[in-house]
Amino acid sequence: MLVIRRRAGESVVIGDDVEILVTEIGPTRVKLCISAPREVPIMRKEVKLTREENVAAARELPAGRLVEVASKLRV
Amino acid sequence: MPTFSSRHFGTLEYQPDVVFEFPAGLPGFEQERRFLAIEHPASRPIVFLQSLVRPELCFITLPVLAVQADYQLAISAEDIKELELDENRQPAVGTDVLCLAIISVAEGKPATANLLAPLVVNLKTRRGLQAIQEDSPYSHQHPLLAAKPEAACS
Repeated sequence: MLVIRRRAGESVVIGDDVEILVTEIGPTRVKLCISAPREVPIMRKEVKLTREENVAAARELPAGRLVEVASKLRV
Repeated sequence: MPTFSSRHFGTLEYQPDVVFEFPAGLPGFEQERRFLAIEHPASRPIVFLQSLVRPELCFITLPVLAVQADYQLAISAEDIKELELDENRQPAVGTDVLCLAIISVAEGKPATANLLAPLVVNLKTRRGLQAIQEDSPYSHQHPLLAAKPEAACS
Protein backbone atom coordinates (compact mmCIF):
# COMPACT_ATOMS: atom_id res chain seq x y z
CA MET A 1 0.00 0.00 0.00
CA LEU A 2 1.26 3.43 -0.91
CA VAL A 3 1.08 6.12 1.78
CA ILE A 4 1.37 9.78 0.78
CA ARG A 5 1.15 12.91 2.94
CA ARG A 6 -0.75 15.83 1.43
CA ARG A 7 -1.73 19.33 2.56
CA ALA A 8 -4.96 21.12 1.71
CA GLY A 9 -4.74 22.28 -1.87
CA GLU A 10 -2.47 19.43 -2.92
CA SER A 11 -3.59 16.48 -4.95
CA VAL A 12 -2.81 12.93 -5.99
CA VAL A 13 -3.15 11.60 -9.51
CA ILE A 14 -4.10 7.98 -10.21
CA GLY A 15 -3.46 6.77 -13.75
CA ASP A 16 -4.07 9.23 -16.57
CA ASP A 17 -7.60 10.31 -15.74
CA VAL A 18 -8.19 10.40 -12.00
CA GLU A 19 -7.21 13.26 -9.70
CA ILE A 20 -8.00 13.52 -6.01
CA LEU A 21 -7.59 16.99 -4.55
CA VAL A 22 -7.57 17.59 -0.79
CA THR A 23 -9.62 20.78 -0.45
CA GLU A 24 -10.20 21.05 3.27
CA ILE A 25 -8.79 19.42 6.39
CA GLY A 26 -11.00 19.58 9.46
CA PRO A 27 -10.43 18.20 12.95
CA THR A 28 -12.14 14.89 12.18
CA ARG A 29 -12.58 14.73 8.42
CA VAL A 30 -11.12 15.84 5.14
CA LYS A 31 -12.93 17.12 2.09
CA LEU A 32 -11.85 15.61 -1.21
CA CYS A 33 -12.56 16.78 -4.71
CA ILE A 34 -12.35 13.93 -7.21
CA SER A 35 -12.09 14.30 -10.97
CA ALA A 36 -12.55 11.08 -12.91
CA PRO A 37 -14.13 9.86 -16.14
CA ARG A 38 -17.89 9.40 -15.96
CA GLU A 39 -17.60 5.60 -16.24
CA VAL A 40 -15.46 5.29 -13.10
CA PRO A 41 -17.78 4.56 -10.19
CA ILE A 42 -16.96 6.58 -7.08
CA MET A 43 -18.74 5.98 -3.82
CA ARG A 44 -18.18 6.11 -0.10
CA LYS A 45 -17.06 2.73 1.18
CA GLU A 46 -20.15 2.40 3.39
CA VAL A 47 -22.26 2.53 0.23
CA LYS A 48 -20.20 -0.22 -1.37
CA LEU A 49 -20.47 -2.39 1.76
CA THR A 50 -24.21 -1.79 1.90
CA ARG A 51 -24.59 -2.70 -1.75
CA GLU A 52 -22.64 -5.93 -1.19
CA GLU A 53 -24.68 -6.76 1.92
CA ASN A 54 -27.94 -6.12 0.06
CA VAL A 55 -26.89 -8.39 -2.79
CA ALA A 56 -25.82 -11.11 -0.33
CA ALA A 57 -29.08 -10.78 1.61
CA ALA A 58 -31.15 -11.10 -1.56
CA ARG A 59 -29.71 -14.54 -2.27
CA GLU A 60 -32.46 -16.49 -3.96
CA LEU A 61 -34.11 -19.30 -2.07
CA PRO A 62 -36.53 -21.91 -3.38
CA ALA A 63 -40.21 -21.15 -2.77
CA GLY A 64 -41.23 -21.82 0.79
CA ARG A 65 -37.68 -21.96 2.21
CA LEU A 66 -37.60 -18.29 3.09
CA VAL A 67 -40.01 -18.46 6.02
CA GLU A 68 -38.32 -21.66 7.22
CA VAL A 69 -34.90 -19.96 7.22
CA ALA A 70 -36.31 -16.86 8.91
CA SER A 71 -38.12 -18.77 11.63
CA LYS A 72 -34.85 -20.44 12.65
CA LEU A 73 -33.19 -17.12 13.42
CA ARG A 74 -32.79 -16.52 17.10
CA VAL A 75 -33.89 -13.07 18.07
CA MET B 1 -57.57 -4.41 -4.85
CA PRO B 2 -54.19 -4.90 -6.57
CA THR B 3 -52.53 -8.29 -6.37
CA PHE B 4 -48.96 -9.46 -6.81
CA SER B 5 -47.76 -12.98 -7.42
CA SER B 6 -44.72 -13.60 -5.16
CA ARG B 7 -42.47 -16.66 -5.04
CA HIS B 8 -42.55 -17.16 -1.29
CA PHE B 9 -45.97 -15.94 -0.29
CA GLY B 10 -48.06 -16.81 -3.34
CA THR B 11 -50.62 -14.27 -4.52
CA LEU B 12 -50.66 -11.22 -2.28
CA GLU B 13 -53.66 -8.95 -2.22
CA TYR B 14 -52.88 -5.55 -0.77
CA GLN B 15 -54.28 -2.09 -0.18
CA PRO B 16 -52.33 0.39 -2.36
CA ASP B 17 -51.78 2.66 0.65
CA VAL B 18 -49.76 0.09 2.60
CA VAL B 19 -46.96 -0.07 0.01
CA PHE B 20 -43.55 1.26 1.10
CA GLU B 21 -42.09 3.56 -1.53
CA PHE B 22 -38.31 3.80 -1.82
CA PRO B 23 -37.88 6.52 -4.48
CA ALA B 24 -34.16 5.81 -4.89
CA GLY B 25 -34.41 2.03 -4.54
CA LEU B 26 -31.70 0.37 -2.44
CA PRO B 27 -27.96 0.24 -3.23
CA GLY B 28 -27.61 -2.66 -5.65
CA PHE B 29 -31.36 -2.62 -6.31
CA GLU B 30 -31.93 0.85 -7.66
CA GLN B 31 -34.96 -0.21 -9.69
CA GLU B 32 -36.77 -1.77 -6.74
CA ARG B 33 -38.87 1.06 -5.42
CA ARG B 34 -42.01 -0.57 -4.08
CA PHE B 35 -42.11 -3.11 -1.28
CA LEU B 36 -44.75 -4.79 0.78
CA ALA B 37 -44.04 -5.55 4.45
CA ILE B 38 -45.21 -9.03 5.44
CA GLU B 39 -45.21 -10.66 8.87
CA HIS B 40 -45.57 -14.38 9.30
CA PRO B 41 -46.79 -15.92 12.58
CA ALA B 42 -43.98 -18.52 12.49
CA SER B 43 -41.19 -15.99 12.37
CA ARG B 44 -42.17 -12.90 14.35
CA PRO B 45 -40.67 -10.31 14.83
CA ILE B 46 -39.17 -10.80 11.36
CA VAL B 47 -40.56 -8.49 8.70
CA PHE B 48 -40.31 -9.72 5.12
CA LEU B 49 -39.93 -7.00 2.53
CA GLN B 50 -41.35 -8.31 -0.70
CA SER B 51 -40.47 -6.45 -3.88
CA LEU B 52 -43.49 -5.54 -5.97
CA VAL B 53 -41.35 -5.76 -9.11
CA ARG B 54 -39.53 -9.09 -8.83
CA PRO B 55 -41.55 -12.04 -7.47
CA GLU B 56 -38.40 -13.78 -6.19
CA LEU B 57 -36.92 -10.78 -4.37
CA CYS B 58 -37.81 -10.72 -0.70
CA PHE B 59 -35.56 -9.39 2.05
CA ILE B 60 -35.58 -10.75 5.58
CA THR B 61 -35.47 -7.81 7.99
CA LEU B 62 -35.73 -7.20 11.72
CA PRO B 63 -36.71 -4.08 13.62
CA VAL B 64 -33.36 -2.64 14.78
CA LEU B 65 -34.57 -2.57 18.39
CA ALA B 66 -35.15 -6.33 18.23
CA VAL B 67 -31.51 -6.76 17.23
CA GLN B 68 -30.12 -4.24 19.70
CA ALA B 69 -32.45 -2.84 22.35
CA ASP B 70 -30.45 0.37 22.83
CA TYR B 71 -29.95 1.08 19.11
CA GLN B 72 -29.42 4.78 18.40
CA LEU B 73 -30.48 5.95 14.97
CA ALA B 74 -28.35 8.79 13.60
CA ILE B 75 -29.41 9.60 10.07
CA SER B 76 -28.04 12.45 8.00
CA ALA B 77 -29.76 15.81 7.59
CA GLU B 78 -30.20 15.00 3.89
CA ASP B 79 -31.98 11.74 4.66
CA ILE B 80 -34.23 13.46 7.22
CA LYS B 81 -35.17 16.01 4.57
CA GLU B 82 -35.70 13.32 1.94
CA LEU B 83 -38.09 11.52 4.29
CA GLU B 84 -39.97 14.78 5.05
CA LEU B 85 -39.34 14.40 8.78
CA ASP B 86 -38.85 17.08 11.46
CA GLU B 87 -35.47 18.58 10.56
CA ASN B 88 -34.70 19.64 14.12
CA ARG B 89 -34.26 16.22 15.63
CA GLN B 90 -33.57 12.57 14.96
CA PRO B 91 -36.79 10.65 14.24
CA ALA B 92 -38.12 8.42 17.01
CA VAL B 93 -37.92 4.76 16.07
CA GLY B 94 -41.33 3.13 16.28
CA THR B 95 -43.39 6.32 16.35
CA ASP B 96 -41.98 8.55 13.58
CA VAL B 97 -40.25 5.86 11.57
CA LEU B 98 -40.04 2.15 11.11
CA CYS B 99 -36.38 1.14 11.23
CA LEU B 100 -35.48 -2.26 9.81
CA ALA B 101 -32.11 -3.99 9.50
CA ILE B 102 -31.63 -6.26 6.50
CA ILE B 103 -30.59 -9.74 7.57
CA SER B 104 -28.08 -11.77 5.62
CA VAL B 105 -28.28 -15.53 6.01
CA ALA B 106 -25.51 -17.70 4.58
CA GLU B 107 -25.05 -21.44 5.02
CA GLY B 108 -22.59 -22.34 7.76
CA LYS B 109 -22.20 -18.81 9.10
CA PRO B 110 -24.11 -16.90 11.74
CA ALA B 111 -26.78 -14.65 10.27
CA THR B 112 -25.88 -10.96 10.33
CA ALA B 113 -27.85 -7.74 10.48
CA ASN B 114 -26.82 -4.55 8.69
CA LEU B 115 -27.06 -2.06 11.55
CA LEU B 116 -24.85 0.42 9.70
CA ALA B 117 -27.44 1.03 6.99
CA PRO B 118 -30.97 0.39 8.24
CA LEU B 119 -34.06 0.88 6.12
CA VAL B 120 -35.94 3.87 7.50
CA VAL B 121 -39.58 4.39 6.57
CA ASN B 122 -41.63 7.45 7.50
CA LEU B 123 -44.71 5.91 9.12
CA LYS B 124 -46.94 8.79 8.03
CA THR B 125 -46.03 8.78 4.35
CA ARG B 126 -44.62 5.25 3.95
CA ARG B 127 -41.72 6.74 2.05
CA GLY B 128 -38.41 5.10 2.83
CA LEU B 129 -34.72 4.91 2.12
CA GLN B 130 -31.69 2.97 3.20
CA ALA B 131 -29.94 5.34 5.60
CA ILE B 132 -26.18 4.77 5.39
CA GLN B 133 -25.02 6.33 8.63
CA GLU B 134 -21.76 8.23 8.94
CA ASP B 135 -19.33 7.94 11.85
CA SER B 136 -21.44 5.06 13.06
CA PRO B 137 -20.44 2.64 15.80
CA TYR B 138 -22.56 -0.06 14.13
CA SER B 139 -21.43 -2.81 11.81
CA HIS B 140 -22.80 -3.75 8.41
CA GLN B 141 -22.40 -7.36 9.58
CA HIS B 142 -23.67 -7.42 13.16
CA PRO B 143 -23.86 -11.11 14.14
CA LEU B 144 -27.20 -12.38 15.39
CA LEU B 145 -27.02 -14.92 18.19
CA ALA B 146 -26.50 -18.48 17.02
CA ALA B 147 -29.60 -20.63 16.74
CA LYS B 148 -30.76 -22.23 19.96
CA PRO B 149 -29.48 -25.81 20.27
CA GLU B 150 -32.22 -28.38 19.75
CA ALA B 151 -31.39 -30.29 22.93
CA ALA B 152 -30.05 -28.91 26.17
CA CYS B 153 -26.55 -30.01 27.09
CA SER B 154 -25.92 -31.12 30.62
